[in-house]
Amino acid sequence: MSVEIKRKFKVVGAALLAAGVAANALSGCSSSGTTTSGGSSAAQGTYTFWDPYPQYDETSAWAKVIDSCAATAGVTIKRSGYDTSGLTNKALLAGQQNNSADILLVDNPVVSTLASAGILTTTDQNKLAVGDVATNILSAGVIDGKTYGVPIGANTLALYYNPKVLKAAGVDVASITDWTSLTAALQKVTAAGHKGITFSAIGTEEGSFQFLPWFWGSGADLTKLDSDKAVSSLQLWTDWVKKGYAPNSVINNTQTTSWQEFQTGDFAFAENGTWQKADAAKMGDQVVPLPGATGGSAPAPTGGEFLTIPIQKDTSRYAVSSKIVACLTSTENVVKTDNTLNYISAGKDAQAAQLSGDATLKPWVDAVQVAKARTGDNLGTKYPKISEQLWTAVQKALSGSASPADALKAAQAAVK
Amino acid sequence: MTAQLSVPARRIRRRGTWTAWAFIAPVVIYLLVFYAYPLARNVELSVRAYTVRSFIDGTAPFVGFANYRAVFANPTFGPALLNTGLFVGVSILFQFTIGLALAVFFVRHFPLSGTLRALFLVPWLLPLLVSGSAWSWMLNSDSGIVNSFLEAAGIGQINWLTSPQWSLIAVLIANIWIGIPFNLVILYSGLEGIPLDVYEAASIDGANGWQKFLRITLPLLRPVSAITVLLGLVYTLKVFDLIWIMTRGGPADSSTTFAIWAYRLGFGSLLPDFSPAAAVGNLLILVALIFGLIYIRTQSRLDPA
Amino acid sequence: MRARPWWKTVVGVILTAIMLFPVYWMINVSLTPARNMRKNPPNLIPIDATLAGYRRVLEQQMPFLGTSLVIGIGTVLLTLVLAAPAAYSLAKLRPRGGSALSFVLLIAQMIPAIIMAMGFYAIYLNLGLLNSVPGLILADSTIAVPFGVLIFTAFMSGIPEELIQAAKIDGASVWRTFISIVLPVSRNSIVTVSLFAFLWSWSDFIFATTLDGGGDFQPITLGIYRYIGNNNQEWNAIMATAVVASIPAAVLLVVAQRYVAAGVTAGAVKD
Repeated sequence: MSVEIKRKFKVVGAALLAAGVAANALSGCSSSGTTTSGGSSAAQGTYTFWDPYPQYDETSAWAKVIDSCAATAGVTIKRSGYDTSGLTNKALLAGQQNNSADILLVDNPVVSTLASAGILTTTDQNKLAVGDVATNILSAGVIDGKTYGVPIGANTLALYYNPKVLKAAGVDVASITDWTSLTAALQKVTAAGHKGITFSAIGTEEGSFQFLPWFWGSGADLTKLDSDKAVSSLQLWTDWVKKGYAPNSVINNTQTTSWQEFQTGDFAFAENGTWQKADAAKMGDQVVPLPGATGGSAPAPTGGEFLTIPIQKDTSRYAVSSKIVACLTSTENVVKTDNTLNYISAGKDAQAAQLSGDATLKPWVDAVQVAKARTGDNLGTKYPKISEQLWTAVQKALSGSASPADALKAAQAAVK
Repeated sequence: MTAQLSVPARRIRRRGTWTAWAFIAPVVIYLLVFYAYPLARNVELSVRAYTVRSFIDGTAPFVGFANYRAVFANPTFGPALLNTGLFVGVSILFQFTIGLALAVFFVRHFPLSGTLRALFLVPWLLPLLVSGSAWSWMLNSDSGIVNSFLEAAGIGQINWLTSPQWSLIAVLIANIWIGIPFNLVILYSGLEGIPLDVYEAASIDGANGWQKFLRITLPLLRPVSAITVLLGLVYTLKVFDLIWIMTRGGPADSSTTFAIWAYRLGFGSLLPDFSPAAAVGNLLILVALIFGLIYIRTQSRLDPA
Repeated sequence: MRARPWWKTVVGVILTAIMLFPVYWMINVSLTPARNMRKNPPNLIPIDATLAGYRRVLEQQMPFLGTSLVIGIGTVLLTLVLAAPAAYSLAKLRPRGGSALSFVLLIAQMIPAIIMAMGFYAIYLNLGLLNSVPGLILADSTIAVPFGVLIFTAFMSGIPEELIQAAKIDGASVWRTFISIVLPVSRNSIVTVSLFAFLWSWSDFIFATTLDGGGDFQPITLGIYRYIGNNNQEWNAIMATAVVASIPAAVLLVVAQRYVAAGVTAGAVKD
């Protein structure tokens, strides 16, 4: 009977060997310049555009502005919207097979990953003009002094509040200037029978994104996760959950489900982003900057996507791609787009135009101007590792598996 | 099972072998291209040290078993191994037992049994994104319906998805729920295949219901049970979507299985780390392989012909 | 004796109700307006029902459902064409190396889908199958073919030798025997395998997103992502999509369950 099995292994082994040969024949030619679906296959002058907005279909304003920019450049666009969490890997897989899209719109912390993979062109190569984009927003796309993309817009986080709940609890929002006053307000609100604050602490980049204003607001630095200041910021969240000022569900909340909790009208505060401002206005909620530990506004991370131009075999395509990107980021178009996406424009002129169109954007424009890019400060590809350890530490502390100090110590050790 | 062949029959047998292989050939080619190749690529990913850059330009250095050693040394390895074992073991146990109980219940037809049995298969139809989300919704600590029932019953709130003690149990419940239809379908048809006269003979001999079940049903059901358990095992080892949607493997690795860990390494952060992910994936396949071998060995021992 | 089955019906209904409660909850969520999504405690019945989700689904998702249907049927046909002859050979013709093949088929099912999908990408790109419906049919069949061969083999082993011998004596070739005798008798297992293949292809996501992400024709599992934006997810629309997507599959199940019941592994047991 063991002979049987040995024989089976021999057959299986031979099969695997044959497989390698057979399949390599089928896939081996990939790196030697097969037609990329990025243009030379179908109609001459079809450019591919990948973005993380699957919620916008061909009839949306977003798709229309892309088509019009393509028309001015004299080509047609084939646009695909992908789920944002899978877009990095799709871009890498496509890059490996020389099948990259002509224009790639990706979440800003991902730009450094794609750049270090060597699949993006720099502004030197694609001749894209950066314009008057603010440095703090652009820094996510700058690695080692080279610029790899331009932002389509930026968003960031702030503290939404429900005036009705605050009034009922006797809390004056102007009194909230630092962490102590915020915690005191939460205590008053929960004593009055309402719920305190909701946010997202899920074990993904979203969780890190939401934790960063508190992390940075304590004065801590991402290169030292276990500093005392960092521990104090995690202690703040842990105490809130323990005392019931924040619900246990924050551990599993996405920003969307956190917002849904806020929408029930029971909560006093919600930490959420620019993209909810239209919804908040409908419900009568207002916004203040997130407080720092000892006063002032906490620096919040920049969200928002970057337009990048991946490397192509046919370098003559860059000219057209740049033209399309420049058209999309022109003041007129970008203001329209950012109003649709509920983002703040990244360029000074565009921001002014947005403000003149809608003065209620002022708190958000201010917030974006002091926001920090996550992969800035030359953290680049170190950021993903740090971020993963940060959200793991947050999860451990909030769920009670470890104390904030121990959790962050383990996180810092793992990053080394 | 091989019959005794006479000389002329053997000649026909040789010709028959060609025909036999002609029937199989499409599947063999299919297997080589669509299974062997991705597997080979995955092995290759795991024995080289790939960064995102070398993934693109293909210049990753060969590192032998270094990735596997790193995986074994990783603090997540122990919890992942334990969770995988618990997840698979408990899932199969409950899926099989409940599936069998339901199959026995349905096999003696009663009014509406056909429709009800078909309705039982509905959980299986739902895309995993949806079943996972439905269960997440139901098990939410604060706004979930399950906790509402528990609070109404006086038991109080359980943090199903957010506590390290309960997260594995939460995903287990959801996975068992999804796996019951598969077991029900296969075991039911196995039961239908058992001829009734065997039971009648046993009744005449004075056996009661329970004895009939233990002495007749279970033994006769063994080949079907074996394949059901094996397939269930293989499928459960691969389960990923459900746990990812419900808990992302957290908090703090408390519901991380090998499948989740492999995905998290490769795709769960902003910087994909393909080599360790491939290594964990191969370990997963290896575990499944070991169970497959155990199955074959048990089959051969039970069925020497 | 007549009166007895009714208590079983009652118990059956209760059990089914418990089993289907999460499905009911899914329908409940699909009718819930956004502001009530995280209400604590949640509404058992959708009091503030909104049809907004369903309206969006009916406006936007029909093409996706159509594509899923085409892919599903294609997967079924391809699976049957590949699996049935191979199983017949393994069960009746017994070539040497047949048991090795069965073993390989078992291993084939152990490979996680993501590994397969990443491997397919390169092959598809070279064959020009990326972002195409036939490509997705081929990929989805890899989920069902090994299982199909297993089921068919088990069933066909149970076909009485006399039937086949009778055909041989009448001078039928192996192929004729297969088409005219074996297939008609295997009707139940054909329906079973078809059902599994259809359902697995219907709910596949990983192959769809990796291999058809940019295609013109996408299945419903990708269509759901219309409601999953980069910052916002619309849960009532997502659940409404799921409900609508489940209907054709549920209908299929009810219609086909009669055949499935009758003979998944009847052959194996008779052995």
